[in-house]
Amino acid sequence: MQRGRAMFRAERRGRRAALAVLIAAAAASLVPTIYMVDISFRDSTQSFAPVLIAPHPILRNYAAVLATGGLGRFFLNSLIVAAGSVALTLVAATLLSFAIERLKIRFGRIILLIVLSALLLPLASLLIPITVLLSRGGLTNTWLGLIGPTAAIGIPFATVILKEAMAAIPDELEEAATLDGASSLTVLVRIVTPLTRSALIVVAIWQFLYSWNEFFLALVIMTKNAYKTLPLAPLYYQGPFMTDPGKLFAILTLIAIVPMLFYVLLQRWFVGGLMAGGVKG
Amino acid sequence: MAVATRAAASIPRPGRKAERGRVLGASPLEAALYVVPAAFLFAVFILLPILSNIVASLFSARGRFGLANYIQAANDPVFRVAVENSLLWVALSLLLEIAVGFALAALIELYLPRGQAVFRTLLFLPMVITPSVIALVFTTLYAPDYGLLFGLFNWLGLASYFPALLGTPSTATIAIVAVNVWQWSGFFVLMYCVGIAAIDRELLDAAAIDGARGFSRIRALIWPLCRGTTVSLVVLGTIQALQQFPLIYLMTEGGPANASQTLATYIFQTGFSENEMPYASAIAVVLFLLALALVAVEYALAGGGISLAARPRDVPG
Repeated sequence: MQRGRAMFRAERRGRRAALAVLIAAAAASLVPTIYMVDISFRDSTQSFAPVLIAPHPILRNYAAVLATGGLGRFFLNSLIVAAGSVALTLVAATLLSFAIERLKIRFGRIILLIVLSALLLPLASLLIPITVLLSRGGLTNTWLGLIGPTAAIGIPFATVILKEAMAAIPDELEEAATLDGASSLTVLVRIVTPLTRSALIVVAIWQFLYSWNEFFLALVIMTKNAYKTLPLAPLYYQGPFMTDPGKLFAILTLIAIVPMLFYVLLQRWFVGGLMAGGVKG
Repeated sequence: MAVATRAAASIPRPGRKAERGRVLGASPLEAALYVVPAAFLFAVFILLPILSNIVASLFSARGRFGLANYIQAANDPVFRVAVENSLLWVALSLLLEIAVGFALAALIELYLPRGQAVFRTLLFLPMVITPSVIALVFTTLYAPDYGLLFGLFNWLGLASYFPALLGTPSTATIAIVAVNVWQWSGFFVLMYCVGIAAIDRELLDAAAIDGARGFSRIRALIWPLCRGTTVSLVVLGTIQALQQFPLIYLMTEGGPANASQTLATYIFQTGFSENEMPYASAIAVVLFLLALALVAVEYALAGGGISLAARPRDVPG
């Protein structure tokens, strides 16, 4: 009895200490973002103050930045590239995973091994040949020029997740459908896809965040302002707003807020999908 | 629960074909059609670039075949700095991300009665912010005389000790690695959370009865059970650290005086800024081989037997 109570007390102490550590870690994780947002609310007399929160916040920076209207173009390009990249990755990886995992096609394991080996490839080692290839094919400064490589880079991870989800589907469901005379494509669309929904959502969220934030490829592929995506916008505005950080940071905040909101709203499905068995060997 | 269905699915039932999951037949043509979209993207944007890169690295700028570009690299002091920095990036990032990721995940999953999702999300948020935004925010945060970190030093009465982190050769790389760790730790936390949540509750309860509590339970039970997650994260973190570009490019451009150059930024500098494509291709091949070598070493250290995918369910017995 005595011992049980001591253990209970120790456990409660442990919980309080854990909570304190986690709150400190969460604060460290948030401080740079809070700092960014606060600078976006400062006028030029306060913008160089070495503090986290400066007095007298203003909204003028946002009004000024939005009035210039240049961000819309970046935003639209990002949206098109991310949507195209997500769609292409989902379709290509779903078809491939289905062929390997459910149709058990010949050489499936070898194809899988080749695809997965790309997970070991640092993007920088592909940068030059991809750029040369795209410029020869006339795809620099086109949306497709960025959609193609980001989709290809997303396929290995998508295949890991989708193949695993498809492996968990019982054979009986397919047997029943096949006896009814369904083709393999019907089985994929009607049975397999709905049953792998949570894995598809994980892949879509991950691929959206990756392609939305892609900088290295965008930097060398989108050299004309008309095609630049949001990750290139800070570079574009850095010069003109050098002496007025308030406005530059209003732009940075507007850029950052999109993927942050996206994740906060969808994290339940992302984490849920991972926990349900998206990522396991 | 998923563990149970999984285990059940892997038990061979009597009267069934030995090969599971081959209900659907597919003609070779049909099979090919399913593979074509992924194979096309993969061939055009991954395989072809690798091959053409290797070929390009074997021709000098004047078109002569040979190892001239590699010999140039061997004699290039900046190339050596870049290799050393890339290795430093991998070692520092991995060490910190694994330690922070595992420790915080253990606290979240084992000590919080509720609110796990709040902490997982708050810690993950830096992961989703556009790297070019992060680079400019941290450049300001690190700035001497007006940055937030200077403000902290000033408040502590240490203003005269504040180093120009990004402007000093000896601190530039470490300062940028710190940003990378800040950004990626939340990802490691989430992956370890998934790994720990997948551990069988009964196993944990049984261990608790045997007296495994607190730190000893984490060290002797949870950490080994997360081995699969750790190996996957080590491989993933290695590649991520090797390919980090925007932070370095936007915070120091590889400077001061090439002190924070890595292979990734040096490929960009030689290939695009200095327009020496053949030399840059050779450096790209070295980066590719370095990645393979590091993963091979990590794989050997882990004792093998683990696939590329995270595998949090390697429960012994």
